[in-house]
Amino acid sequence: MSDRTLPRLLQTPAVLLLLVWMLVPLGMTLFFSFIRYVLNSLRRPEWTSPSIDNWRGFGNYQFVWNNDGFWLAIYNSVFIVTSIVVFTVIFGLAIAILVNRSFPGRGIVRVLLISPFFVMPAVNAVLWINMILDPVLGLQGIAVAGLNEMIDGLRDFPVLGGFFSLWPELSPISFRATQTSAYAVIIMVTWQWTPFAVLIFMTSLQSEDQQQKEAAILDGAGKWSMFRNLTLPHLGRPIAIVVMIQAIFHLSLYAEIEIVSRGNGNKNLPYLIGEFATNNIGAASAAGIFAVILANVIAIFLLRMVGKTLMD
Amino acid sequence: MASVTIEQVIKRYGDTQVMHGVDLDIQDGEFVVFVGPSGCGKSTLLRMIAGLEDISDGTIEIGGTVVNEVAPAKRGVAMVFQTYALYPHMTVYNNMAFGLKQAKMDKAEIDKRVRAAGEILHITDYLERTPKALSGGQRQRVAIGRAIVREPEVFLFDEPLSNLDAALRVQTRLEIARLHKRLGTTMIYVTHDQVEAMTLADKIVVLRDGRVEQVGAPVDLYERPKNTFVAQFIGSPKMNFFAPSALAATAPADLRGGSEDALLVGIRPEHLRVCEPSEAIVTARLDLIENLGEHVLAHMVATDGTEFIAKMETLPEGADTSAMQFTAAPERVHRFDKASGLRQ
Ligand SMILES: Nc1ncnc2c1ncn2[C@@H]1O[C@H](COP(=O)(O)OP(=O)(O)O)[C@@H](O)[C@H]1O
Ligand SMILES: [Mg+2]
Repeated sequence: MSDRTLPRLLQTPAVLLLLVWMLVPLGMTLFFSFIRYVLNSLRRPEWTSPSIDNWRGFGNYQFVWNNDGFWLAIYNSVFIVTSIVVFTVIFGLAIAILVNRSFPGRGIVRVLLISPFFVMPAVNAVLWINMILDPVLGLQGIAVAGLNEMIDGLRDFPVLGGFFSLWPELSPISFRATQTSAYAVIIMVTWQWTPFAVLIFMTSLQSEDQQQKEAAILDGAGKWSMFRNLTLPHLGRPIAIVVMIQAIFHLSLYAEIEIVSRGNGNKNLPYLIGEFATNNIGAASAAGIFAVILANVIAIFLLRMVGKTLMD
Repeated sequence: MASVTIEQVIKRYGDTQVMHGVDLDIQDGEFVVFVGPSGCGKSTLLRMIAGLEDISDGTIEIGGTVVNEVAPAKRGVAMVFQTYALYPHMTVYNNMAFGLKQAKMDKAEIDKRVRAAGEILHITDYLERTPKALSGGQRQRVAIGRAIVREPEVFLFDEPLSNLDAALRVQTRLEIARLHKRLGTTMIYVTHDQVEAMTLADKIVVLRDGRVEQVGAPVDLYERPKNTFVAQFIGSPKMNFFAPSALAATAPADLRGGSEDALLVGIRPEHLRVCEPSEAIVTARLDLIENLGEHVLAHMVATDGTEFIAKMETLPEGADTSAMQFTAAPERVHRFDKASGLRQ
């Protein structure tokens, strides 16, 4: 036995298990995506069981590809994921830098900052859409109503009142509408995942070399220059990690979309798959394969972009 | 180039005071070394000059201007840190150019200065590398280069050699000395190593617990230490101390006489020499001998049990090691007050 044989042998069960774990579902999905397979059909009862006899070729793919919701779902998936990632990184950086200095009560503030991360996604969505974003009963509704009332009151003032009477009545935004529901999802997931970014950036900030900063001070660097030239490069790797993990995670968002609008106007790919899967397993599988392809495209794109930082 | 004047400088961290009113004059172009044991406040004093620490009380002047409230970058100082503190994500070139870019200097001028510094420090071949790809000695050069390009009035070094191996330390020490000769700029250098202090300094400042113990040329400190602390700190191996009772009966009367608690006699190991019993200052037996090739260190025990070291070329042949006599030239015998430690 050569030096490597024994370690390889010992690794084999784990590798095999992982392969089976991955390949079996992928294989089944692929198989289903090429056959006609539905859960209920009175007209064609033979389609209700998966069988090679019901071969449909690329028919399911064509069906999904030409489906009205498909391109919107792809667009939404990318839009939602990108927005969340951008916002969480920006807010995460800002907050991490703020709480990295010492101030009284820092420990408690840090714990509070992390806590949104421990709320269940469905609960998070219910709270946001009903208690905060709701145009009538939520904080948003109350705030808008209050502002309107205040402006109303100001209209009665002499002179200035004339100015305020030019103001239109503010109307609250309905976040369940087709045009806005994706924003609601972005807001709530950003709120929930910013702590994750903060946590990762904070640990990294603590390991920043203080003498480098002092050297930069002596070199005449301002706060912004130090952030740009020292802190940001230092955070390159944690930012890459936050982006990667979130991109992979948020491609499969589901609960928030279900609760905000039942997919009205902001379906993403997983939601579309879920809709197909209520009856048409073949189409759902084809959409699933598209999702796998999309995830891989994004992953390759990200690895290209941030891979260098990780390999350094 | 500029002189530095420190007046009654005090440093407090919260309630604990770590510098207790330091006064110091540093001439234009002088190479000054702050030396003292770890924790005595050398770095703190240097960092106050640099502007990295607030000055709790007193004033620091650079080139005749009080700089207490002047921003670090505007003081005309450049610092070399113990850990080098190079910017890890920039090339060597950009590390050196960074300060100049911040000052919005002309690109061509930056390039000229960086390349000139590269020449002086022999790092032109690494200009496009990042610090990660450099050895410790090369990083140290880059750190020095980063200070040079800014053409400061005062160079500050905080234990710049302590992360280098012994051979490199000697070499870099020489290069720093050469650099000072070449640039003629005021340099303030912090170290806990008295050899570095002795070899580099025009003027040594010995610090202890946030106070200046003695200021002077290396030879002064060696020949006329103000107190027992400086006497022991400067010179290696350390100065030997004897109570009058440890001395031989043949020792000069002014050393033996006087009250027992009043006097401490100090003689450096290299100034002790073996002599006839009639001129002995101290009589002792040999405990152990360390042979260093060029010389030997004889660890001796005096008749009353006082341990001391004598440094000599070889042990005299046929010497009776159970009772050896030592003497020293009168000007090499230091007398200190035992209670205060001050030179008499
Ligand atoms: N940030 C700080 N807070 C409190 N005490 C400090 C701080 N920095 C240094 N000190 C104290 O000041 C003294 C001098 O420190 P330092 O100048 O670093 O010593 P040296 O460089 O001579 O070894 C030490 O006793 C150290 O504990
Ligand atoms: Mg120090």
